[in-house]
Amino acid sequence: MAGASSVGVIGKGITIRGSLSGGGDLVIEGQVEGQVALKNHLTIESGGRVQATVKAADLTVHGTAEGDIEASGRVHLSSTARVSGDVKAAQVVLEDGAVFNGTIEMDVKLPDVLQER
Amino acid sequence: MANTVIGPDLVIDGEISGDESLVIQGTVKGRIALQEKVSVDGAAVVEADVDARAVEVSGRLTGNIQASERVELRGECRVVGDIRAPRILIADGANFKGSVDMDVKER
Amino acid sequence: MAAISKDSGAATLIGPSIVISGKISGDEDLTVRGRVEGTLELSRGLVVDPGGIVKADVSAKSAVISGVVVGNIRAEESVELTHEARVVGDITAPRVVILDGAAYRGRVDMSGAPVAAAPRPAQATPRAPARVTAPARPVTPLARPVPPPAPPSRAPAPSAPAPAVARASVQRAEGRPVPPPAPPAPPVVAGASRKKVIVRKRK
Repeated sequence: MAGASSVGVIGKGITIRGSLSGGGDLVIEGQVEGQVALKNHLTIESGGRVQATVKAADLTVHGTAEGDIEASGRVHLSSTARVSGDVKAAQVVLEDGAVFNGTIEMDVKLPDVLQER
Repeated sequence: MANTVIGPDLVIDGEISGDESLVIQGTVKGRIALQEKVSVDGAAVVEADVDARAVEVSGRLTGNIQASERVELRGECRVVGDIRAPRILIADGANFKGSVDMDVKER
Repeated sequence: MAAISKDSGAATLIGPSIVISGKISGDEDLTVRGRVEGTLELSRGLVVDPGGIVKADVSAKSAVISGVVVGNIRAEESVELTHEARVVGDITAPRVVILDGAAYRGRVDMSGAPVAAAPRPAQATPRAPARVTAPARPVTPLARPVPPPAPPSRAPAPSAPAPAVARASVQRAEGRPVPPPAPPAPPVVAGASRKKVIVRKRK
């Protein structure tokens, strides 16, 4: 398991067009267009911009993301995040200041008295 | 020091461009065009044409390399492709197959 | 117990054992601890406490949800889902906050959101404060609705009173420049003008 030990960084002067996949954590400060599929944690820093379909275990966004996001764990949009797209995760957190447009899908357990709509 | 590090478990299939240095420890397929230095670490696998200021290879690279300053193939690297650079260094132990062209005007 | 009891504040509280079916509208803050089905149209704030259940489309100035809401929420200012919230429905508001622990499913539309939370420009105007600095007595006393600049846009306002005040010298400064009316300015303006501290006027 190479998870925690490796952290990749895509610096702010770098642009990648294509697909990124693999294990290890990744921090994006530059630009990525295409698809991202990671087994671990993805962080999009405040100057970073991702226009891609993203799949990761967890995701922390401080920058810009456009595209659908799917995480098995948490998606955290910090106060500087600008995200548009559909987000599906076990937990989504929107900090005050985050700008988000799109749908959010978490598992919502409603009380019995309300049969799900 | 390199700001960008493509970790050992990362696979990139596409184009990488930019004005920073890059250290590749994982896998890259496609094309790399940088204005700074590209380092291909020992465990890395690159199947791409590389165009940069300087290129240093310790891992595996299949593709053409073009550098405005220098290309260095270190011991234990395996490179297949053509190299064009004003300065080229091939260390003992490097495994290289391809052509070398040093007739590039220095800037 | 009254069906709808009033808290000490002006807010209305729907107690935990109450079920209301229909349309609720009003100009006060509303706290729901019971169950509401239908439509909610409020010009103030809605608070759904843990245990509260709202099955309705909601329109309010702001909403803080700690209970269950099934329905679309539209707010003029902000919507906050706290860690106990369970919400299904679309949310439309310029500010949306979802805390860790909240469960949500639906569409979020913040298209009315300011891209950069810029502080009110008024605060940047150094002119008035520059002179006023000495007494710098924050207008807190507030007997007189401080923000004379309120009516026009804040930025230009100070220039008018400033010279007049300067002339009057640090002391007197009859409240001449102050336009008497000064309607209850929105909190923001009050804050901004506090910086300007047209204390002179008070004298």
